[in-house]
Amino acid sequence: MPEWVIVIIRSFSLLIILFFMTKWLGKKQISQLNVFEYISGIVLGGIVAIHTIDPNANLIYAILSMFIWFIVPLTVEYISLKSKRFRNFTEGSSTVLIQDGKIMEDNLKKEGYSTDDLLEKLRDNNVFLASDVEFAVLEPSGSLSVLPKKENQPLTAKDLGLKLAPEKEPQTVIMDGEMLLEPLANLSLSVNWLETELDKQNVSIENVFLAQADNDGQLYLDLYDDLLAVTEPSEKPLLMATMKKCQADLELFALATENQHAKQLYEKNSKKLQQAIDLLNPYLI
Amino acid sequence: MTVGSQVKGCFSSIKSIEATLHLLSEKTTEQEAQQRYLQVEQLITEIKRDLQQHVIQLTKEEPQYK
Repeated sequence: MPEWVIVIIRSFSLLIILFFMTKWLGKKQISQLNVFEYISGIVLGGIVAIHTIDPNANLIYAILSMFIWFIVPLTVEYISLKSKRFRNFTEGSSTVLIQDGKIMEDNLKKEGYSTDDLLEKLRDNNVFLASDVEFAVLEPSGSLSVLPKKENQPLTAKDLGLKLAPEKEPQTVIMDGEMLLEPLANLSLSVNWLETELDKQNVSIENVFLAQADNDGQLYLDLYDDLLAVTEPSEKPLLMATMKKCQADLELFALATENQHAKQLYEKNSKKLQQAIDLLNPYLI
Repeated sequence: MTVGSQVKGCFSSIKSIEATLHLLSEKTTEQEAQQRYLQVEQLITEIKRDLQQHVIQLTKEEPQYK
């Protein structure tokens, strides 16, 4: 067999083996790899590189050494999943750099962090003043996690005491003009519904680049033809407006009538409607 | 517009609100939202019933504008 054929065969077979090994080793992002996994990845690649271009090297040795460099990281990963102490040993543990707003100088020194390094990492987290930080911890991966003091944290609905409606993830129902059936089923909506909604907007499905529906069945469209106007879903705003108008009407009737019985009826129902508006308010925004 | 027709207009708006709420409650996949829609729908139904009787009464009072 000519040597170039051997190189081709080896390349293909080792490529396939390497592909499956890296698949098996897991889905961790490259940035999250610990040192050990990082090195074993490089070694695996090195073994493959040497043996593909050298026809004299024994292929069995290649497979053998690849297997070892594959099985050891795999077992290490498996054991560290089970045991916390082993995990601390292989992956390292986190170090607290700032606690109760005070910088832990000893821990900084232990990790080999200079003040400049700390400030740089803080700036990475959009903190420019060290005293804004309540707690900061250096993760084993080398990134710094920062908990700002309460008054420096972004304002949330909870801080304002707002009650908001729960929201689930929207589903993409049309992609590149093709209807996606599974997401539609997730929202328990039918193909028929989608066709009706498109008809309402007066667009054909071929013209739709992307369509997403939220958990209230409101459809948001983007068309290929950007000159065509797409209306935002108006069902909920319209409902709110109608309710407010009716409430105002009832109040007006109550003021206008001289019949005591009718006045009471209008007032009672206008109050009820106001209650309904208050109940629905978070859901219709 | 007579008072009667104004109230009738309001009455039909209430009916439309009721229908929209029911539609939303059918469409939503969120349990909590569905309950809220149904709860409000019930309120609206009560208002509708009240108004319906009043509308009938008003048409009796203003037969010439029927």
